[in-house]
Amino acid sequence: MSAAMPSAQLTAFAPRIRIRRGFSVGFMVVALLAITVSMLMLGALIVEIAVDGAARLFTDGSATSQEVRGGTLIDLPMPDGMIWLSWALPVAILLPFFGLRVVRSVLSDQFARSRWIERSIGVLTTLPVAIFVHILYVRFESAYYIEYAKAIGVDDASGTIFQLFGEASGFQFVRLITAGLILPLGILAAGWLWSHRLRRPSLLLPAVAVVAWVVYLFLDPLFLSSYPSRVPAQAGLFSAITGTLYMMVITAAVAFPLGVGAAIYLEEYARRNWFSRMIQVNISNLAGVPSIIYGLLGLQVFVRVLEFERSVLAGACTMALLVMPIIVVSAQEALRTVPPSMREAAYAVGATRWQVIRFHVLPYAFGGMLTGNILAMSRAIGETAPLIAIGALTFIAFLADSPTDDFTVMPIQIFNWVQKPQSGFHEIAASGIIVLMLVLLVMNATAIIMRQRTRTDW
Amino acid sequence: MSRNFFGLMRSSAPPATEAPDAIGSERAAPPPPPTMKQDDAASAGVHLDPNLEAVRHDFTEEVDMALKLRGVSAFYGSFQAIDRMTMPIPRNRVTALIGPSGCGKSTLLRCCNRMNDLIPGARIAGEIEFEGRNLLDPTVDAVDVRRRIGMVFQKPNPFPKSIYENVAFGARINGYSGDMDRLVEDSLRRAALWDEVKDELDKSGLALSGGQQQRLCIARAIAVQPEIILMDEPASALDPVATLKIEDLMRELAEHYTIVVVTHNMQQAGRVSDYTAFLLAGEERVGRLVEFGPTQEIFTNPLDQRTEDYITGRYG
Ligand SMILES: Nc1ncnc2c1ncn2[C@@H]1O[C@H](COP(=O)(O)OP(=O)(O)OP(=O)(O)O)[C@@H](O)[C@H]1O
Ligand SMILES: [Mg+2]
Repeated sequence: MSAAMPSAQLTAFAPRIRIRRGFSVGFMVVALLAITVSMLMLGALIVEIAVDGAARLFTDGSATSQEVRGGTLIDLPMPDGMIWLSWALPVAILLPFFGLRVVRSVLSDQFARSRWIERSIGVLTTLPVAIFVHILYVRFESAYYIEYAKAIGVDDASGTIFQLFGEASGFQFVRLITAGLILPLGILAAGWLWSHRLRRPSLLLPAVAVVAWVVYLFLDPLFLSSYPSRVPAQAGLFSAITGTLYMMVITAAVAFPLGVGAAIYLEEYARRNWFSRMIQVNISNLAGVPSIIYGLLGLQVFVRVLEFERSVLAGACTMALLVMPIIVVSAQEALRTVPPSMREAAYAVGATRWQVIRFHVLPYAFGGMLTGNILAMSRAIGETAPLIAIGALTFIAFLADSPTDDFTVMPIQIFNWVQKPQSGFHEIAASGIIVLMLVLLVMNATAIIMRQRTRTDW
Repeated sequence: MSRNFFGLMRSSAPPATEAPDAIGSERAAPPPPPTMKQDDAASAGVHLDPNLEAVRHDFTEEVDMALKLRGVSAFYGSFQAIDRMTMPIPRNRVTALIGPSGCGKSTLLRCCNRMNDLIPGARIAGEIEFEGRNLLDPTVDAVDVRRRIGMVFQKPNPFPKSIYENVAFGARINGYSGDMDRLVEDSLRRAALWDEVKDELDKSGLALSGGQQQRLCIARAIAVQPEIILMDEPASALDPVATLKIEDLMRELAEHYTIVVVTHNMQQAGRVSDYTAFLLAGEERVGRLVEFGPTQEIFTNPLDQRTEDYITGRYG
């Protein structure tokens, strides 16, 4: 006797979530261009790295290699198997998955509306552009290597490069195809897997690809994998990068639970009285305290009283104090975005306060909290003063393997290089700053994306 | 006093569709008019101000009461929202709360399941008797009260989780150990939503239409198997079709549950409710109970002039 109304009438009111949006032609063109160029670059980059690595592995004895400034010029006689592998693997992985879908949508009556057709065509159009850009790139790279080899007095360098062009042209072609077609397909497919509702081409991937490309062109990989050195050309950021990572992990592990706990207490449990207001005001004030003060606090409390010495742990605890206000405030904001009606709904079915927080408030606010955490970490990653205050070292030629080891971090390493008289160090300091900026960029971008993705439209 | 007041009410309701008639004729018997028991009348005498005594209709027969409100006042900080309300809520009946905006209907409703505990600065005085205990007593566990007295809010507020999870949540946290799938299906069926969502139970509750969301909230409320369901203008944001569905639903639910419903729609109050309470706020914006009685009496033969003015649309 229920449902007296015919349900057909009601379906008219029920919106379908999958809404196809129309694109303007202009948007399509721009997006297509952006995607093409970036896919291409990203693809080429990945192949490039993979091939380089493989070449180093497989051509141990046979390759003639030449040390140039912090890099290696390699003649790449690729084993045949590798060539076919680089071709066949992506195809083997993607074709059943992607191809089947295309075929199915062709067969189905929805052919005209299939996004898969649209996308495949879009991807195919990238091919000519991919070839063109890749040829430009190879030219550029060769010229660069020839110039460089001559400058450092290597005679057979030109021969090496030409070999790459001549005999290995088949291989070049493979690279090209892989870069221009297979990888974009793969990335699109991955994007589809990531989100079924990828409704429009994301411009994020292009941005990341372009940045990665530029970095790859201008940054010597050895700079990232060398320890500090007395010689500018051999000095690298390796121990600083690992030190930064190490410290950030511990900082987050200390600051996130404490900060989120404080936020939950203040928002969900504390009564609104003078005491909680005072705490609130103090937290906001702490966010504005100069970081050197935190350094002095850390020096006394962690280094001296708790006897952590000048260790990663002492640095991380100091940093945790420094970023705590940011984490607390952003977590509070995230908690406040959960509408009161959600809490009431949960209370109304008999949930206890903790159940409301655990099953409703926290899950909906978690994305925002993580975002805040990442932003706090990106603040901590650039902080120098407090770490100098607690005495982080600048010349570390080993990796920390326990939290009580000495350490250095990127900004301190850079600071150290800038102080030196030799201009070579100033140049690598500039490179170091670029690396630091890139890390920051990536972290902030991640935070923004996360905020978008985890947002609930109430 | 006509016992078949439901028939009377139907004639005054607009002939919108067949639905109300169908429901009306399906009802086994019209509810017997209730009576205020002697002790209730006595306790109602706590009023210091005789003018606060609301007009009550003749109660000729004893009726089982789910809740007994005695002198319930509610405050938000220093502002008094409702003043010493005394009324019964009959069991397994639909009781409508009507009155102009701001007269304290939602406040009264929220007092009944201690929802106002959650508002900082809110305070309640008086007594609400529920199964022999005063549920406003601080020693009574508010969580337990809310489990047994469910609520459906004015604005649909499903959790941003799957439909299934929306319904199952309340039962799960209350330690329900039976067959969850059946409970979910049962609740959705009773809320007249099952046929529309049975194939997409893992779809987000937020992806439903407003009317479907409201029925989902009702399913969520009944999944906990409360004894009383409080509904705050459950149909205020809905189209006529969804509104009728929800009204049908209320009539059906009244067979097993006690329902208190706030509504601004006089026709709706007439169609669905067995008893009606009319609330009004005076100059100082303090809400008071003006009249309580069987819906038919209130609508056809109000004892208070203000009630008549309001029902006939002469009030603000
Ligand atoms: N959370 C609150 N804090 C302070 N005052 C409140 C709060 N909620 C309601 N009030 C006040 O209490 C009075 C009664 O409000 P209530 O929401 O109960 O009215 P209502 O009868 O439900 O009105 P409506 O029909 O518009 O929903 C109003 O004057 C309102 O301003
Ligand atoms: Mg209200």
